[in-house]
Amino acid sequence: MEVAILFGLVIGLMMIGVPVAVSLGLSSIVVLLMYSDGSLASIAQTLFSAFDGHYTLLAIPFFILASSFMSTGGVAQRIIRFAIAVCGHIRGGLAIASVLACMMFAALSGSSPATVVAIGTIVIAGMRQVGYSREFAAGVICNAGTLGILIPPSIVMVVYAAATDVSVGRMFLAGVIPGLIAGLMLMMGIYIAARVRDLPRQPWAGWGEFFSAGADAFWGLLLIVIILGGIYGGIFTPTEAAAVAAIYAFLISNFIYRDMGPFALKGAPGIFMGVWRTISVFWHADTRRTLFEAGKLTIMLMFIIANALILKHVLTEEGIPQSIAESMLAAGMGPIMFLIVVNVLLLIGGQFMEPSGLLIIVAPLVFPIAIKLGIDPIHLGIIMVVNMEIGMITPPVGLNLFVTAGVAGMSVFSVVRAALPWVGIMFVFLILVTYVPWISTWLPTTLMGPEIITK
Amino acid sequence: MSPAEHDVPRSAVDSFEESLIAIFLGLMTLITFANVVARYIFNDNILWALETTVFLFAWLVLLGTCYGVKKSLHLGIDIVIARLAPGPRKALGVVAIAACLAFSILVLIGSWDYWYPFATKRAFLEVNDIPMPGFLQFLSDWMNDGEKYEKIPRFIPYAVLPISMTLLTWRFIQAGIRIMRGDVYTIIASHEAEEILEESAAARTASGEKEG
Repeated sequence: MEVAILFGLVIGLMMIGVPVAVSLGLSSIVVLLMYSDGSLASIAQTLFSAFDGHYTLLAIPFFILASSFMSTGGVAQRIIRFAIAVCGHIRGGLAIASVLACMMFAALSGSSPATVVAIGTIVIAGMRQVGYSREFAAGVICNAGTLGILIPPSIVMVVYAAATDVSVGRMFLAGVIPGLIAGLMLMMGIYIAARVRDLPRQPWAGWGEFFSAGADAFWGLLLIVIILGGIYGGIFTPTEAAAVAAIYAFLISNFIYRDMGPFALKGAPGIFMGVWRTISVFWHADTRRTLFEAGKLTIMLMFIIANALILKHVLTEEGIPQSIAESMLAAGMGPIMFLIVVNVLLLIGGQFMEPSGLLIIVAPLVFPIAIKLGIDPIHLGIIMVVNMEIGMITPPVGLNLFVTAGVAGMSVFSVVRAALPWVGIMFVFLILVTYVPWISTWLPTTLMGPEIITK
Repeated sequence: MSPAEHDVPRSAVDSFEESLIAIFLGLMTLITFANVVARYIFNDNILWALETTVFLFAWLVLLGTCYGVKKSLHLGIDIVIARLAPGPRKALGVVAIAACLAFSILVLIGSWDYWYPFATKRAFLEVNDIPMPGFLQFLSDWMNDGEKYEKIPRFIPYAVLPISMTLLTWRFIQAGIRIMRGDVYTIIASHEAEEILEESAAARTASGEKEG
């Protein structure tokens, strides 16, 4: 009963135009006051504990900041140039290169819409110039962009780790192989479509371009090594890695690529001006603007997460996850059936909710059942992330659809149609990931030993 | 990033809030980075780094939320309300804002209940790691019977709860007035997408200018 009222309220409030965060928070408070003797002070405490009780969530603002510096600092252009030099000469090469560029950018940033914007704004125009249809280009980017949350680092994985207490490092590692497979599946799909439709190929640009583009993109791609190497080498925690990534992205975009900040001005500065520019980079308008934009995204996202944590607090207080787990197990549900239920639940939810908030709510509900059924928590996490990816490219509320529509200058409806054939590939991929746990668990188990959360 | 954006006149409060958001995030990043540097280069640890970052994080998000309401940045679903006739739409808008006010007032009451003991009978409770700066020691006379604080007292970081919820309530009241007057029909950002696009458009203009 409480569950029905709780979720009924959440959905009802959202539908009449209450912000998602407030819908989650208010419904939880109402249920808490109606059904238990929890105090309002405990709500305030839970709200504050979103920040001082979940050290992992601190990685989110830093990853967002790093991503902002890289988008404004010209890293995306250099990655695209390199991707085209690598596989532009294959049939359908520009589209395949776009997928590769999305994969590389995904390895630097933790968000899907950010990946679509950074890569899509440049490559969709490029593909149209050489004769691809706008629909084809938009469909490819819309789907490849979702790899942003599957290939580490990933904000959604950070949220899952915070909600279930699994290790962020493990989740990141678990995303590597599925991310590569999803990228390759999309590339193969494009190659077949390119054969059928006789899409153009670029001339092979030669090893000269290959190496010079590679060298230019090197400073950006080095960040992958810093983030992953730093975490798995035990040099820093994921949160610290995110902060280091932000500082690194700030430094290369201002001092090496010089697409933003005081050095973006033309002309070699004298010694005095050089020193002045170096110092002034900290309060330069570009720096302030990037910090502010990243801050704004952090605020929106974290306010939703903080309120989802209040809802989670109420769920646990009322023992709801346990009772759902018991009734599901009593009904004789096996692992296969259970995973289907999880998929359906997340696919429906993912169309209406922001991924991070949805994960915080759904993870505590399904986690205890999964553990009882012997499903690996890391495997469950990857399944959830892939579901979120599909949620972002299916109507009515797929964030990537809206972003792609804007980037490509198309209506949302035509993007939905353009994305559809590729969504099919993502569905096949979801089934693969769901029923072949090995794909997700092999790498973390090999590098970090077997999973310890099994109770 | 385009210069034009900076020419748009904004109120002093807007610029103050926007600078605060940028400074808080910048400080969080620098402090966390400094701690890594301290550990590997100076073989030392900045004890107060983590706790300070966490409190900055809480202040950033809770105060920033109020800015978000003022600028209608918060995400929501508008597929229903966008299709309604103006009359019912306004009615729903009023209900929605009433729900928001109920939320902020309930959390404000909770925040006060939570914070007040820390400022009165438990005013001696200190945070774990952040040392008390000398210029704030007057607080020990005011709040702690003259006994010096070694670390900052807990009521300082927690004060953001009642402060931000008061401000949030005020912002929702303002938004309610805008809806009543018919200036706007919703307080949500119809979609985050437009926001992101604006940024990218601005970024493209900026890079275009530099090439050109």
